[in-house]
Amino acid sequence: ATVYLPLKVLSPPVFSHLSIFLHMHILEDLNKQLFDNLVSFLRRSHSEFQEKTTEWTCRMKSKEIPTAALVLGVNVTDHDLTFRSLSEVLQNNITPYIAFLEAKDCPGVKKLMQKLMGQLMNCYVDVDSSEDEDYVQVSHNRIRCSMTSLINWYESVTKKTDSETPSKKRTSSSRHWQSPPVVVVFKDMESFSTKVLQDFIVISSQHIHELPLVLIFGIATSPMIIHSLLPHSVSSLLCIELFQSLSCKDHLSTIIDKLLLRASFPFKLGEKVLQVLINIFLYHDFSVQNFVKGFQLCIVEHFCSQPVSVLCCQLVDAKKRADSLSHDQCENIRKLPSFRRYVESQVSEKQIALLTEDTYLKETTQKLLEDLHVYHENYLSVLRCLHVFTSFLPKYPLGKQIRELHCACLENQVWETEEYESSLQLARMLNKSDLVTMLQQCVEIFVSSSGKEFDNTVEKLKEFLTQFQKLEEAFQEQDVSVSSQKELQKKTDLYHLQKTLLELKESRRYKKLTKFEMLRFDVVDYIDSLVRNYLVPANHKTLHEIAYFNTASVLREHLNAAPRIALHTALNNPYRYLKNQELKSDEGSISNKAPDICIVYKLHLECGRLINLVDWLEAFSTVVMAAEGPNADAASSDQVDDIIHARFIRAVSELELLGFIKPSKQKTDHVARLTWGGC
Amino acid sequence: MFLLLMHVFSLLLQNKKKEFVSTTPYRLRKRLTAPDPYLESESEYSASCSEEDEEDQKEVSTVLSGQKTPAKTKAASTPPPRNTLAKKNKNKMANLVEEYFEAHSSSKVLTSDRTLQKLQKRRLNQQTLHDLLKKAPLAYAAEIKELNQQHERLFSKWMLQLHLGFNIVLYGLGSKRDLLEKFRISALQESVHLVVNGYFPSITLRSILNSITEDVLNHIGTFRSPPDQLEFIIKRFKEDSSLELYVLIHNLDSQMLRGERSQQILAQLSSVPSIYLIASIDHINAPLLWDQAKLSLYNWLWYETTTFSPYVEETSYENSLLVQQSGSLALSSLTHVLRSLTLNARGIFRLLAQYQLENKDNPSYPGLSFQDFYQQCREAFLVNSDLTLRAQLTEFRDHKLIRTKRGADGVEYLLIPVDDSTLADFLEKEDEDL
Repeated sequence: ATVYLPLKVLSPPVFSHLSIFLHMHILEDLNKQLFDNLVSFLRRSHSEFQEKTTEWTCRMKSKEIPTAALVLGVNVTDHDLTFRSLSEVLQNNITPYIAFLEAKDCPGVKKLMQKLMGQLMNCYVDVDSSEDEDYVQVSHNRIRCSMTSLINWYESVTKKTDSETPSKKRTSSSRHWQSPPVVVVFKDMESFSTKVLQDFIVISSQHIHELPLVLIFGIATSPMIIHSLLPHSVSSLLCIELFQSLSCKDHLSTIIDKLLLRASFPFKLGEKVLQVLINIFLYHDFSVQNFVKGFQLCIVEHFCSQPVSVLCCQLVDAKKRADSLSHDQCENIRKLPSFRRYVESQVSEKQIALLTEDTYLKETTQKLLEDLHVYHENYLSVLRCLHVFTSFLPKYPLGKQIRELHCACLENQVWETEEYESSLQLARMLNKSDLVTMLQQCVEIFVSSSGKEFDNTVEKLKEFLTQFQKLEEAFQEQDVSVSSQKELQKKTDLYHLQKTLLELKESRRYKKLTKFEMLRFDVVDYIDSLVRNYLVPANHKTLHEIAYFNTASVLREHLNAAPRIALHTALNNPYRYLKNQELKSDEGSISNKAPDICIVYKLHLECGRLINLVDWLEAFSTVVMAAEGPNADAASSDQVDDIIHARFIRAVSELELLGFIKPSKQKTDHVARLTWGGC
Repeated sequence: MFLLLMHVFSLLLQNKKKEFVSTTPYRLRKRLTAPDPYLESESEYSASCSEEDEEDQKEVSTVLSGQKTPAKTKAASTPPPRNTLAKKNKNKMANLVEEYFEAHSSSKVLTSDRTLQKLQKRRLNQQTLHDLLKKAPLAYAAEIKELNQQHERLFSKWMLQLHLGFNIVLYGLGSKRDLLEKFRISALQESVHLVVNGYFPSITLRSILNSITEDVLNHIGTFRSPPDQLEFIIKRFKEDSSLELYVLIHNLDSQMLRGERSQQILAQLSSVPSIYLIASIDHINAPLLWDQAKLSLYNWLWYETTTFSPYVEETSYENSLLVQQSGSLALSSLTHVLRSLTLNARGIFRLLAQYQLENKDNPSYPGLSFQDFYQQCREAFLVNSDLTLRAQLTEFRDHKLIRTKRGADGVEYLLIPVDDSTLADFLEKEDEDL
């Protein structure tokens, strides 16, 4: 009973990592650019109001409300996160007065105003202090929600900050201006009713000179929606600027880059698992949040189900832990398939030592852990390097994104695949300038990588680069010689011309490779050798089970469940769940030994749209009686009948609960069937 | 003319009947793996029985034809297009879609016209049903137990995952009530938890929220709307990080909690970090309740927990066709309405009820005629004119406590449309109160 909170099961360093990602700080940096733009827009938008420039310009412009159209993409579930960080950013930089409106709370303008004022007045309390809470309570209930009262409120608030104690004023003015704008965010602009939006915009445009209002529209589809929702007369009251947030695919790429393609993060995803997560993302929801959720589930599952996961942490800690492993834990390591393979490859004395001596095992484990770590560092650098090449190739035989390449490399030895072969073919046809830029990128990757083995590689790549440089110089000389040759040809007669042409043709067939081509071959071969050396799939590595989570079925079961299929299987083939030999039967027939609900279900499958209860009951009792055998004596038969009747009633009402049938009034004592086919 | 029509009609019926009789037992016979003599006699019995039934059948269907719309009667009497059934057994999965449209292509429905009434079997009420089922042993108890034990091993994992911010939803055939109850007993004894019986017919969102605000947060006061209440709850849980609440919902997909608004609010509730939700669903279409936004609020982890346990509690409130209305609900509504009436009005109703009970053995009891009733009421000093009685009756009728029927002689008859046992219970209760 004490194990109910096994948080301690998770090794602390990893768990701290986990909690970092739980809060998803990554996502905030992602939108940094967007937020910076928005902040500068907001600063600009009401500078006139701020500076109180000539009355006239103010009035001229004042009918237009500055509006930011924020295109957020279809992944609606991630929007909340973006808005949350947006509100933080705005509160820190621009204004305390922010209101978030959702379509479902605003069926009419009145409700919208209520919601708006409620939120604004609450921020007022937060900014000020909680001492006059009752004042807010009163205002909340009594104040008529109109634009005038909003303006009065705004004036009183801004005046109050003016007359505050100097110290307080300084703190507030450092963050906000004297009269900060009021930002109203429409979270899901598309779902608002047009009338509400129009009315609100028209009303507030009348008061824009008194209230520095800024609107932000959250848009999931395309900015065109503004014009289809609002007629020209209304949209002309808005001064719209467009902001584009990062697309969800870029989000995903960044997350994969930050979570999975880092050697410093000890936990890794296996190929199948990653594929499942990516598939859910691409084919179900485009939701980054869900992807992160799946990733979290993987972490939890890994640490709960894999006993050797205690060693899944930073290398230094892992070595320490390996040193203090208990005997049972050592046994767990010995059970790992990858470790067994390793043992088998050793000489016999070592085999015995590994299998019997715990201390020797611990030493070996430490060494292997280090190997694994080095492997990761090298793997990632070479992967990025290979990605530089493959992302340039036409038609992307190995995929455009690095995640696709990563999956391919995890799955099996990538150099044995056809796609790899064809990408090498294509790489051998690259032109020089592309090749040079790629090589330069690769050099950068290797230089910045943490792996220690790449000094030679960098040397080699630089050597290639200088050779290309030299080639360029040589090429210019060659150019001259070719033109002289052409001049020579002109002077020959027809016979000689024919001859030379034939010779040329011959020579082209057995043409010796030019120097550039030779060099290009060398480069591609060298990259190939790197790939073969370093991009070995992880599951070929000893002790990979420590870091890699591979049970994709768990993920599919818990994230992408199929309740209908489960129900159908249980009803059709109860043997799957109840391991009793009597239940074993072939698909089509109805076993009379099956649980009542299964029999009733199968009988109902044979009926049409309506089912007569009497017939159904009769069929049921026939099936059940056959199970009980004809020897039930006549005296108790009435009794038995009653019980069967009762069992039938129970099964039918269970089917009704499950949604297979419903009572029908079309005919007396009939029920309607609600499902069709498989389930 | 009428006779002729009747004849034709009965002929048609006969056809249909024979058709039916020839199909059902045949299908059954084919289905059963080993044909046995008992079964043979069974099917023969049903065939002969249907011949005898002919007379009754006619009677029933004439009544039907009188009540139903002409189109329906036609539909029932047209000869059946024999199809689907034979095909289905062969390639089950092949043309599901086509089968669906085939079955829905015409408004005609082909089923037999037999009714439960003729089955010579009384309708069971909830209690007798329960007793009968107790007698029937649960099949495969050992295997079911084994299955449940497998699920019980997941309890500690559930706790961990709940604490990490996931919510858990259980699906699969069989009642998950006992499983959740075991989970509650073994893991949640020392923590604050709320159990919601979603299958209960009068559960409301408001009652769930109320029990959170009143019992968990000890807040006295009312709220204007559920969203306000929700806002309050979220605020309180945010302010006080020591607050934790486990919410167990049996049948999150039940009739009462199915609505879009309730689901939205429950989803928002479940997204509060210190509220842990574990729920079960049973309906096959339950996953359709949630769109992307709600799913992300719920943050579900799905667990298949097929238990094969009977849905005893869950179905006990269902208004099944086969189960006699238990009457307990009707009884309570009856008493509630009458409580709000004057003493005289209650007396009037008692008179009618008593009279009806006295005549309960008379199958052709038409009801109490208005004149007689007025007489009785006058004698008991309950009314002084027939106008007051009529006013009173109108009130009863508005509350659906009585029904009036005009007899063949044009006299008005009054009836209480409640079954006798309920009525007897009611009178008993009234006597206690007085």
